[in-house]
Amino acid sequence: MWLRIRFILRNLLKKQQVNSDLDAEIRSYIDAVTEEKMASGLHPDEARRCALAEIGGVEQVKQSVRNVRAGAFVDSIGRDVRFALRQLVRSPGFSVTAILSLGLGIAATVAVFSVAYGVLLHPFPYRDVDRLCNVSVRDAQRATFDEYFLGPELMQVSKLHAFESIATWRRENMSVTGGDVPEAVNAYYGLADTFPTLGVAPLLGRNLGPADAPDGQEPQPVVELHYRFWQRHFNADLDVIGKTLELDHKAYTIIGVTGPGFTWDWGADLYLPQAISDQRGGGLVAKLRRGVSPAAANAELQPLLLQFSKEHPREYSPHYIADLHPLAWEVTHNIGSTIWVLFAGVGLLLAIGCCNVSILLLARNSARQHELAVRLAIGAGNSRIVRQLMTESLLLAVVGTVLGVGMAYRLLALIVAWLPQHLFPPDVSIRINLPVLLFSVGLALVTTIIFGLLPALQMVHPKIAVAIQSGSRTMTGTLRSRHLHSALVSGQIALTLLLLSTAGAAMEGFVRLLRVPLGYDPHNVVAVGIPLHENTYTTWQGRTSYFEELRASVASLAGVTAASIAGNAIPPNSGWELPFELRGTQALTPDARLARIHLVDSNYFNTLRTPLIKGRIWTPAEIANAAGLVLVNESFIRRYDPSLNAVGHFLRVPKLQNTSPQVLMAPGADGWLQVIGVVGDAVNGGIDQPVEPAIFAPYSLEGLGGTEILVRTHSAPRGLVSSLRKQIAAVNPEQQTYGTISDLEKWIEDEAVWGRTRLISTLFAGFSILALALSGVGLYSVASYLVVQRTSEFAIRIALGATPSHVIRLVTASAGAGVVPGIAAGLILSIGFERILAAWAGITSSPLLFISGAALLLLATAAIASLGPTRRALSVDPMIILRSE
Amino acid sequence: MGENSTNLLHGTLDLLILQALGNDEFHGLGISRRIEQITRGTFQVKPGSLFPALHRMEEAGWLTSSWGESENRRRAKYYRRTKSGERQLGFETEQWTTISRAIGHALKAN
Repeated sequence: MWLRIRFILRNLLKKQQVNSDLDAEIRSYIDAVTEEKMASGLHPDEARRCALAEIGGVEQVKQSVRNVRAGAFVDSIGRDVRFALRQLVRSPGFSVTAILSLGLGIAATVAVFSVAYGVLLHPFPYRDVDRLCNVSVRDAQRATFDEYFLGPELMQVSKLHAFESIATWRRENMSVTGGDVPEAVNAYYGLADTFPTLGVAPLLGRNLGPADAPDGQEPQPVVELHYRFWQRHFNADLDVIGKTLELDHKAYTIIGVTGPGFTWDWGADLYLPQAISDQRGGGLVAKLRRGVSPAAANAELQPLLLQFSKEHPREYSPHYIADLHPLAWEVTHNIGSTIWVLFAGVGLLLAIGCCNVSILLLARNSARQHELAVRLAIGAGNSRIVRQLMTESLLLAVVGTVLGVGMAYRLLALIVAWLPQHLFPPDVSIRINLPVLLFSVGLALVTTIIFGLLPALQMVHPKIAVAIQSGSRTMTGTLRSRHLHSALVSGQIALTLLLLSTAGAAMEGFVRLLRVPLGYDPHNVVAVGIPLHENTYTTWQGRTSYFEELRASVASLAGVTAASIAGNAIPPNSGWELPFELRGTQALTPDARLARIHLVDSNYFNTLRTPLIKGRIWTPAEIANAAGLVLVNESFIRRYDPSLNAVGHFLRVPKLQNTSPQVLMAPGADGWLQVIGVVGDAVNGGIDQPVEPAIFAPYSLEGLGGTEILVRTHSAPRGLVSSLRKQIAAVNPEQQTYGTISDLEKWIEDEAVWGRTRLISTLFAGFSILALALSGVGLYSVASYLVVQRTSEFAIRIALGATPSHVIRLVTASAGAGVVPGIAAGLILSIGFERILAAWAGITSSPLLFISGAALLLLATAAIASLGPTRRALSVDPMIILRSE
Repeated sequence: MGENSTNLLHGTLDLLILQALGNDEFHGLGISRRIEQITRGTFQVKPGSLFPALHRMEEAGWLTSSWGESENRRRAKYYRRTKSGERQLGFETEQWTTISRAIGHALKAN
């Protein structure tokens, strides 16, 4: 075997030497024969002639030796590839179009599907992820949300038979202390079972486990770092295990670091153990026992919920319905339809790309019938021709594929950067999906090879004589191949129009969102998050005035035009939806009266530029004293009080009451509150939703364990962020602010629906431009090509007396045969698809204008491509064309 | 010198070349003449068959070649049988004997 390999290498690498050796050998053979002949008495010249005749073709001998040599096959493939390369370079327009079509189709399909796969199908890297469920509930008013259980209830729920084990989360804001500046971190507490349930190996050290929170004892002072925090804070120090980390002035030993893709809770920096007896409880993810369905678990959980609502009516509503969902459900729910519509669009693009390549190959290869016939006639075998065409197609496909794969990686990075935040945990890993990559590449290869080989297959029963006699340029193409052309062109145009209409609809949806009347002015307003540490500012008075002190400090900064305290009221998703009672009106069912309760101060409306319609706003003193006075919005009046002049009436929000030790209530907060004014409607339930009834109450009524300060600045707020932080530090150097300070336009952009529509419309816009360009180029090359092929036919027609207008009519008719049915099919498909789209996105207006524009563009392309070469052909004297045959 | 010189049975050429070489070394024409001689003029191998066969057999490891000087003081490529070539000769001889015996019996059968 090694002998053979040695010879293959020798033959391929030292080709020159091997060949000159052969030359010398043959020469010496001829000389020897010549000498023999001379010895038998012939004249030297005669002897040499005889010798050569006896050998019978020196080159043939050499070639037959070369053919038996080891590696001859490889050598001939090399020759095929070189020939194919020359063919591609000779028609650069064709090659570039075909390669780009394949490349773009593959890149788009692979990148978008990889996103879909990463987000939807396999977002969490946990063991047995399909058995992990969020323990969530819903009630009449609210969609499904993750329920938070207090300690004793958490313990009971975790003992349900349906659950094999549980993982819990409870978020705390903590500070890393002991350094120069305290660093705010997201800490997550979990029961001992948490990490074993998730079953993900740590990167370094070990995971938190049962030993860290033994029963009946305080948890050990240990901490596990998230990869992100380890990178940021410890510069990825490999010796971090065993070191200490000071959190809120207490030392913790570092026991492990998670892997980079670990996703347990959003933006976590640290994980800490929590004792089972801890009163504070947490949210819950349960691993169902094998064979137990979420429905069965719901049935087991429901009686517990009822029992909790009896024991603790404040914490647990009697209307709660257990509603467990697999972990991936929330993500699927948020972005599912988007991804699938996108994937359909991308599939269309791949189809258009492959269609383009098919058309191009067909057009080009039908023109090569003549060349192929000549090759067959001078002795090339069928298999030889097939191999040559195969090599050309493969080369095209391989170059296109390599380009496509390269672009797929690039495109994926771009899409991931564009993906809306908050739709899925930040650590969900999105990587190129190998099966789809292989599928797309396979599809591209197969398409290219099939359509590349079609002319060769037609040659299986060759009518060589016919093909040669007719010559390549006089051929108008066989009827069958013309039908195939027309069909492919139609198909491509239809697909392009369908993609364009989808894109139009998607973009229209985004434009609609941009035009939503907000009711407030988000420009140049930032929200500064102010979390309070546990057990700080523990008196109502202290907390209220501390917030005001911070606000005043910020407001005094040069460049700040207004500052306001907004406890829970950052638009476009502001307030808590709570039931209320209106004094003196017929009591409806309790659940029917809901409004969004906003906890704000007297500067709130001024800061957001929301107009006061009627009545008045609080005075600063009323805010400081937590006066029982509220404002409502116009929607509130329309929904609940159309006949009454709301100002002066009383309402009550029973749920404004002490719910946790973290909240400090003003006395009388859950009593009757008087309406003193009405303000304009501002978006409060998300930008794609109608404005909901809202009640605005002084923030001091409910002293939350944290707030937001809204700051309106004179110019772009970006430059003021560090000054803002300084103003806050001037009041209390230990006060942290939430990670990033962002403006309200960013808050809108962070809305799921905003991000989703922006993403989808951008991608579709990109796809439709690509698709239009691809099919335009494809259409152009095919149309102009077919006309050029018929040049001499036109010359004959003209010579026989046809007028130029006849010829132009002929060309128009044959181009129209592909384009017109395509446009018709495209319009029909678009209208049908629009119905589906309307159901998906609620878009009712038709993107007909958009499609008609695209149809016109394609028509124009076809016309220019056909008529340009026709005019050129007609301007030349027909005799010159006919003689050139 | 008839047409039969080209009608060598497939595989027979290898056998003849290996046999003709013996333990000596020959150049191309030498091998051709030697075959002619040992088959009493029945087979005359033409260069179009001879050279591909020689190169193929060299790559199979049955022959080695080296450049040397001919009797007329000319540079020529000489071929020599290897150990593996000898084994191949034994194998092919055996096969050929089997075939020719079988054909012989078949022809005598009637």
